[in-house]
Amino acid sequence: MRRPVLVRRDEALRGGQPLAFAIGLAAALFVGVLLLLGAGHDPATVYQRMFEASLGDPDAWSVTLNRAVPLGLAGLAVAIAGSMGLWNIGAEGQILAGAMMAAWVARVGDGWPGPIIIVAMLAAGAVGGGLLAAGPALARSSIGVNEIITTLMLNEVALRLVQWLIHGPWKDPDSFNFPLAPMLPDQARLPVLFGRAHAGVILAGLVIAVFGLAVSRSVWGYELRVAGSSEATARYAGISLSRKIFTVLVLSGAVAGFAGAIELSGTADRITETISNGFGFAGIIVAALALMRPGGVAAVALLFGAVQIGGQSIQTLGVSSSVSTILQAFILFGAIGAGVFSQYRIRLVPGRRSVLEESVG
Amino acid sequence: MIDSVPLVADSVPAVALTGIWKRFPGVVANAGAHLTVSSGTIHAVLGENGAGKSTLMNVLAGVYRPDEGEVRVHGRPCRFRNPADALDAGIGMVHQEFRLVPSFTVAENVVLGAAPPLLRRTAFEAEVASTAARFGLAIEPDRLVWQLSMGERQRVEILKALWRDARILILDEPTAVLTPAEADELGGVLRRMADDGRSVIFISHKLHEVTDFCDEATVLRGGETVAASLTVADTDSAQLAGLMVGASPAVTERPPPREPDAPLLEVSGLSALGDRGNKALRAADITVRSGEIVGVAGVAGNGQRELAEVIVGFRPATAGSVVIDGMDLTGATPRQRFRAGLGYVPEDRLGVGLAPRLSVVDNAVLRVYSDYRRGPFLAADRARAYCQDLVKRFAVRTGALTDPVAGLSGGNLQRLLVGRELDHHPRVVVVAQPTRGLDVQGVKAIQDLLVAERNAGAAVLMISEDLDELLMLADRLLVMQGGRISAEFDPVTSSRQDIGVAMVGHRSDAEGRL
Repeated sequence: MRRPVLVRRDEALRGGQPLAFAIGLAAALFVGVLLLLGAGHDPATVYQRMFEASLGDPDAWSVTLNRAVPLGLAGLAVAIAGSMGLWNIGAEGQILAGAMMAAWVARVGDGWPGPIIIVAMLAAGAVGGGLLAAGPALARSSIGVNEIITTLMLNEVALRLVQWLIHGPWKDPDSFNFPLAPMLPDQARLPVLFGRAHAGVILAGLVIAVFGLAVSRSVWGYELRVAGSSEATARYAGISLSRKIFTVLVLSGAVAGFAGAIELSGTADRITETISNGFGFAGIIVAALALMRPGGVAAVALLFGAVQIGGQSIQTLGVSSSVSTILQAFILFGAIGAGVFSQYRIRLVPGRRSVLEESVG
Repeated sequence: MIDSVPLVADSVPAVALTGIWKRFPGVVANAGAHLTVSSGTIHAVLGENGAGKSTLMNVLAGVYRPDEGEVRVHGRPCRFRNPADALDAGIGMVHQEFRLVPSFTVAENVVLGAAPPLLRRTAFEAEVASTAARFGLAIEPDRLVWQLSMGERQRVEILKALWRDARILILDEPTAVLTPAEADELGGVLRRMADDGRSVIFISHKLHEVTDFCDEATVLRGGETVAASLTVADTDSAQLAGLMVGASPAVTERPPPREPDAPLLEVSGLSALGDRGNKALRAADITVRSGEIVGVAGVAGNGQRELAEVIVGFRPATAGSVVIDGMDLTGATPRQRFRAGLGYVPEDRLGVGLAPRLSVVDNAVLRVYSDYRRGPFLAADRARAYCQDLVKRFAVRTGALTDPVAGLSGGNLQRLLVGRELDHHPRVVVVAQPTRGLDVQGVKAIQDLLVAERNAGAAVLMISEDLDELLMLADRLLVMQGGRISAEFDPVTSSRQDIGVAMVGHRSDAEGRL
């Protein structure tokens, strides 16, 4: 009997990343053909629709870019914490908190000039996300409470808050008693760049670039990476851990909150309980696929966005949402997951038992 | 490739490995190695780190399959698919990391996987006890493994092999975890096994153990057998060392002493708590003067680690003071102490001394990165230039400087770490287990660096579990026992025996009541 094991390559395959990407994508599309045939659809039509809806023309691109914005920012939020070895599982709630704060500014600032209200909304969004993360950050940095649990639980708190607001104080009197907040005023909306792409695309790109640089090049980022690699080494180097943990988690929350404000001001008409739309959790996947490198999240988020937009579009062809979701998962997993083969290869080894192949004595 | 086996005329050897090749990605671990072990003998397998000893033994124990070559056990060709096959053929191996279930009793661990179908505790406990008694292994079968010392755990591992009636027992560096007294005791146990007609294969790079315990020796170098089945009685340590390193015998002479000057490190009445809140360090007084190496010997876990950590500022002192070059730094941060001239080479290189996932460059500037500030950024070009220079001067062999440091070999990691700490010529250097796990050349390189630093006027506090190393390098030798400095020796005139006794001390009152 033979079984496959992953063996590290002596050296990474040259040009391996793009090659692995292409092969993985092709393999995923092929498996997708089988899935679609099994579900009774014509694969050619479905794939064509997917491509046209996500990348076919500038309008399609604009939709994909808009989608990549919250995915990329949520991914960045997770990756900032991740480069210090921390897990922010609360981006979903922080997006909601950011959107809430931004919506509040939009209500209070009704009548202010456009640019001021937008800047205030975005800043408030970052503050909201940061505030929601501050509790877990303080608990983690002062007495070591596991941030995974606390950030995750606050998602629920943020969701309930939004629900309470739109069922209660913020309910639109003209909504025929539906639990809806009023529409945002026009001057609270981000300007449009082209098609449906809003200015948030540029802002998100800037934020990702700044944090990418900060983590990989700055002294601050260096300290972060040392701490992420080994806390004991960080203490050895004289890096104050608790302050760093606090700042990093709060910043991570602020980035997610910023994403919430952009979603509200850029793509939503009003604050709803679904405005975070799973972006916070998708952000974990984005960050993991980007190997926790803040600089890498932009590319992953673009692909992720295109696949999501394409996947949603084929539902108009009668493809069920579950089949569409499976197909999206195939593509992401195939295209990005295949990257591992540029560093590892599969070898068939005989035997059933585990064979220790790592150590050389 | 099959060599002809030099068979002893009147008996079939217990083990005959011939022409063993084993390749790993990028490494040839065994290149046609051979080994012949007779029944009833203790056979040493010697070699530097990376000479292929462990690989060869893992081939014999069924952990690895050889790419080429033949394994014969009592004359019968064997092709082991896994360790269980090897065990069926009577081969047991005691690995360096013990494979025991901490929450089980000694007897339960011994019979695990080879237990009679009906577990009658009293019955197998008695059997385990009688097996232990037969070979002189002092152990209580009903004790829980997590409560045992390292030496006792090793006895459980040996018992496991004997319980399965292993005719051939492989021990991988068995004395690394033992006190000198325990090591002697192990020698007695192994002798009894050999007298019983079994074969013992003893992997080591401590030459005095080989000459003390073993009948024959096979030396490996670079994956090949360079000397097979030498009769130990006819050889001496220098000859064996020469075969291992392939050059003139390792220098074992003490470096000439240097007249010490003013005290640079003054530790007085220093106490601290251990990780479990126990009193791990009790009122230690140590003075290290400029130009001397003060060694700290002791069995692991007697407060040495805590001593180092309090001195360098990782662990708060509960009493006492640390004065470096005249400055009281008892409450200072690790960085302030480094700036005041304190270098530290921790025991845990990857994980305290170095950040494993970060690049060689990032690790090279770990202590001084704030000097490489350019605005908010780290000046990558200057850091890289410094790293290149450091790597060159301390002969660190690396791949790309941007690769994670975790990819470096043990010896190169230590050169990088020691180089980084010594490069700023600290007034005081604290080193813990500086040469543990390094090969002969690596050990020499690190020791030379420390001696050079001493000669340049630094005060070196050297904590080590390797008594040979301390005897060779230290100008004064302190022994730690139960958290106290319990004795001081002159390394030139004192006997190993006396030092060993001081290390073991009065164990009963040492642990104390927490």
